[in-house]
Amino acid sequence: MPDPLLALSIGIGVMGAAAYVLWPRSGLIARFQQGFLRAKRVLMEDALKHLYDFEYRNLSSTLESIAGALGINGDEAAALVTRLETLGLIVRRQADLGLTAAGRSYALRIVRIHRLWERYLADETNVSEPDWHREAERREHYMTGEETERLSKYLGNPLYDPHGDPIPTSFGTLPGPRGTSLASLEEGRSATVVHVEDEPSSIYAQLVAQNIYPGLLVRTIEKSSKRIVLEAGGNDIVLAPVVAANVSVVPHEQRIREDRLHRTLGDLRPGESARVVGIAPACKGLQRRRLMDLGIVPGTTIVAELESVGGDPVAFRIQEASVALRRQQANFVFVEEISSGGNV
Amino acid sequence: MNGRSDTPNKSILAVANALRWEIGEGLHDSVTADLYREAERIAGVVTARSGKGQRLDLDRILDRILTSRAFGFPTMFLLLALVFWLTIEGANVPSALLSTLLVDQGHPFLKSLSAAFGVPWWVSGPLVDGTYLAMAWVVSVMLPPMAIFFPLFTLLEDFGYLPRVAFNLDFLFRKAGAHGKQALTMAMGYGCNAAGIVSTRIIDSPRERLIAILTNNFALCNGRWPTQILIASIFIGVLAPPYLAGAVSALAVVAVVLLGIAFTFLVSWMLSRTILRGTASTFSLELPPYRPPRILHTLYTSLIDRTLIVLWRAVVWAAPAGLVIWLVSNISIGGVSLAAHVVQSLDPLGLLIGLNGIILLAYVIAIPANEIVIPTLLMLTVLFHGIADVGTGAGVLFELDSPAAVADLLHAGGWTLLTGINLMLFSLLHNPCSTTLYTIYRETGSVKWTLLSALIPLVIGFTVCFFVAQVWRIVVGV
Repeated sequence: MPDPLLALSIGIGVMGAAAYVLWPRSGLIARFQQGFLRAKRVLMEDALKHLYDFEYRNLSSTLESIAGALGINGDEAAALVTRLETLGLIVRRQADLGLTAAGRSYALRIVRIHRLWERYLADETNVSEPDWHREAERREHYMTGEETERLSKYLGNPLYDPHGDPIPTSFGTLPGPRGTSLASLEEGRSATVVHVEDEPSSIYAQLVAQNIYPGLLVRTIEKSSKRIVLEAGGNDIVLAPVVAANVSVVPHEQRIREDRLHRTLGDLRPGESARVVGIAPACKGLQRRRLMDLGIVPGTTIVAELESVGGDPVAFRIQEASVALRRQQANFVFVEEISSGGNV
Repeated sequence: MNGRSDTPNKSILAVANALRWEIGEGLHDSVTADLYREAERIAGVVTARSGKGQRLDLDRILDRILTSRAFGFPTMFLLLALVFWLTIEGANVPSALLSTLLVDQGHPFLKSLSAAFGVPWWVSGPLVDGTYLAMAWVVSVMLPPMAIFFPLFTLLEDFGYLPRVAFNLDFLFRKAGAHGKQALTMAMGYGCNAAGIVSTRIIDSPRERLIAILTNNFALCNGRWPTQILIASIFIGVLAPPYLAGAVSALAVVAVVLLGIAFTFLVSWMLSRTILRGTASTFSLELPPYRPPRILHTLYTSLIDRTLIVLWRAVVWAAPAGLVIWLVSNISIGGVSLAAHVVQSLDPLGLLIGLNGIILLAYVIAIPANEIVIPTLLMLTVLFHGIADVGTGAGVLFELDSPAAVADLLHAGGWTLLTGINLMLFSLLHNPCSTTLYTIYRETGSVKWTLLSALIPLVIGFTVCFFVAQVWRIVVGV
């Protein structure tokens, strides 16, 4: 039998080596996978995507911008551009680089896969929001056309990725702009921001400074030829009509109060009841479907019944059934008309 | 019908696409909301209600007590302790009865019967000594506790108490990335891991269900309790003065159970943060109204659905195991039995991790059923160390009347206190039995998860035993 001290040190050594290889994200295996991202084809595809992105945003892409976006040095970027040029995917112009028709269609295909994957990760898995992009970056390079179509079909041919960007169709077309101009929204009407135009940049900067972003719920409370006053996230925002014209919104059919109230099921004390207004957009996929299947839909009255020993989860009476929800979920459900009337 | 009906009409597709943009993404939400409105309307019309529900008030009072800070946990511990006590105490008598009937009398009867008919030893050996005896063993050890534990458990479930346990314990499981209902599947696992795996169906979130399946084996099943109790009383109880021996060995078993719970949480936590990080997850827990348990119905369903199915599978798996046990002990290569060859090659590894080759071999051939580990160990020890006057022949399982006799035999086999402790650890931390593995495969439909559920506890078991052995040898010196 070996000396126990020797065996112990070997054992600890083996454990350390295993951790070094297997550790999530920083272990050898994880780094090996990341290494694949530096493969030649992957770099080419990322460069095309970068060019497309800049073209979409009306910026001019250069060797430097490619090198910066891909995290490679100038020489590598030059070699990459030359390669793409000989393949007929990009053209050099006087000041910048441009995509050829073939290059644009290639780029759109990758963008499509990327956004589909983000959609899939957001809806069907539990991968956290910051990881969507990273995961999609990895997977977008390893999908055949057939697999892409299968994924799209499985997701019900979604129109937008979870960030609100349109997903290019399989023919490489992007949907036209949606929504109407915020400037044309009637007084007192509420709407969801779907797009914020980033040109010209001075107006865009103003909008960013006012904290207007896609997904924000707004309501016009005052409208004149000089200014538009909005209510959003509990604050009043004043915009010039020319600025408001650069924001696209989709008006709501009904008045929505969740923007003002921000009260959720999680705020209910045992014995209190409230009516559901809606489920937060951040709650997606399986989680959202489950809540709706339980009967948490706009208009349902819910009573908080009792807290568990640890205070979380809390049991609610929903559609005459007693269902326990965790606080994290209850905070997704916007409610109004909270009352302590014990009509349990 | 015109001739172009088989090609999609472009303009229709264009209209459909345009409409899709118009409808937008909240379609599912509004459809669901409308369905509920309509269902409520219909229910409002056709449902007759009779005054105020008395039972509902009783429910609320019960819920207030059972989920209160003061009484929630004490009630739970008391009820679970009662269930375990009833199981262990109540199973003793029928177990002894079955053992007498099937093993002490049935086995010699079958032997003499086959002798009377002139059946050659190489037929009666594998069939009667191997297959029959292993099956009889499993039945007598397994059936009584399961026939008591499962109905009791089902009664609590039927009454509506178990969902409240999950409700109260959820905050612990949430921290480990698991579901509160895992408390119930774990408790079921203390009866039988295969039944515990089946019971994970109550967890409807994919990720949490896989976590519950992969960690169920850390709940010490009924087939492993006797091993723990026996080894604890032989090796640990004797360290204490006689009047404390019982309490000390009971404490040792409880420590192993607690270690299992600790590993359940640890492994759940690790799984939810590594390989299962991205799996879809949701939480909801229905708290059904309390109702008087239907005792006869419960007895019937728990006996049929849980006890008999699990027992049948165990018997099906135990039969070939018995055959293998007999064969490895009786087939000789170069004058040495197959078992001896294997034990010799496993010995260095076994001794390194504070066990021995016999224990490892016993755990390999007892994969079908943990119940036969101890009899297999005893038989192999006798066979391998050539101890006379004990046992009834190569490949024939047996048990000794008193723990003291077992202790003498094991000490003669070279066992130390370290061997005993590590056997208790290894009994908790090793691959699930084949019945459980098969159930995992059936429930997950995946070879990957089945393999993983075997490898995780096995790797942990070897690692823990290894480190305990080395530290023990450095500190204690033996």
